[in-house]
Amino acid sequence: MELVKRYVAAVQRELPEDKRQEIGRELNANIMDQLDAFEQQQGQLSDEDIAAVLKKMGHPQAVAYQFVPPQSLVAAEDMPLLKHTLFMVTGLLFVLHVVGSSVDLMRSSNVNLIRFVLQITVGFLDTAIFTFAVIVLIFAAVNINGARISGSDAKDWQPRDLPRADLGWQHISLTDIFTDLATYIFLLIVIWHPLWVSPEQIAERSVTFTEHALQLLQWFSPVIVLAVLLSLWQLHRRIWNRNLLLNSVLVNAAFTVFLVALALSGPLLQTGPAELQSVFRALQLDRGLTYGLLITACFPAYELLRDFLRLRKLLV
Amino acid sequence: MTSSQLDKMRLELRRGVLVLAVLASLKQAHYGYSLRRQLQDKGIDIDEGTLYPLVRRLAEQGLLDSEWQQAEGRERRYYRLSEHGRELLVQLTDEWLQLNSAMGPLLDETEKLALQQSGEYK
Repeated sequence: MELVKRYVAAVQRELPEDKRQEIGRELNANIMDQLDAFEQQQGQLSDEDIAAVLKKMGHPQAVAYQFVPPQSLVAAEDMPLLKHTLFMVTGLLFVLHVVGSSVDLMRSSNVNLIRFVLQITVGFLDTAIFTFAVIVLIFAAVNINGARISGSDAKDWQPRDLPRADLGWQHISLTDIFTDLATYIFLLIVIWHPLWVSPEQIAERSVTFTEHALQLLQWFSPVIVLAVLLSLWQLHRRIWNRNLLLNSVLVNAAFTVFLVALALSGPLLQTGPAELQSVFRALQLDRGLTYGLLITACFPAYELLRDFLRLRKLLV
Repeated sequence: MTSSQLDKMRLELRRGVLVLAVLASLKQAHYGYSLRRQLQDKGIDIDEGTLYPLVRRLAEQGLLDSEWQQAEGRERRYYRLSEHGRELLVQLTDEWLQLNSAMGPLLDETEKLALQQSGEYK
């Protein structure tokens, strides 16, 4: 019966400690009964016969899992909420890293775009991996005793609140929302950098905005703040409705007009003392920025047209 | 339908019925192996890997009472329906009978259709 002892011990090793003794005892009793019955039919059992019976019962791990099924770290019911939370939190982290890196960029006398992108990427990955692990562990800790996090919203819904079946675009993508948020906050930081960067640091820079351009940008800031609020509203609703579309049309119209006006409003950049002799370079940069702004204006213009058409479809 | 599909669907179909069969069999006390033999004698073949964990789960849910006894020179764990298990068995039996009476005519129609089709193919 050495084989039976080995088999039962192998099953017990795969079980939680508090259940090992009881299940092992019961499994041993059941196997012995089975071997007894087999012996009555076949006569004296050899080790091969016993091995065949045990083999038929299944691998010790599979048998242990039948007694105590392995549990997933997060319950299936909470998986959609986990994915949503991870997406939201990593999105917010991305925005925060853009903000942090933008502040550093503004403070730095040496503007290095590659360093800026690397700082965002490495910093974001570092924090995101840690946050990912913490969120999954929180879900696992709640689920461990059978409690579920999601489910309360499942009762408070109305069929009328569901988006129309023929309008697939009505669901707002989280990626779009967080990309917009990151862009708006980055813009605000660039525009209002004189608030936290000393005049000496600004003076050290090779290229800065002209006073006229900076003033225009600052006048436009309330619209950017409105755009941030609109993104937060989108994050809350997650479905395009008439009010959201109308506001999006207005904000995009304002962005389009402003970007074109800014591009055509004359010199946007000025050179610092070290670059006074390389005026040619400053002019090139200024022209590049003008074209850049005109190209950038195409994006809100496209969204303006898109949301206007969507609004018309919703009003039909 | 492939044999793996059939196996999967058979397993799903049998899963719920096995609980009812086990509860019904445990109106009398049984230990693991004797319960399996009893079910086999009634035409319900169930492997040990499914039956023993199922019985334990039902006991953990309070549907079965259990006690260890010495018999034939060996200790065995005997299971029997608890009061709660008895109440549940009555309810499940009603449910099963209703389902069975509803399924009967449906399956008769399926059988007729199968016979008609086999007649056409001939």
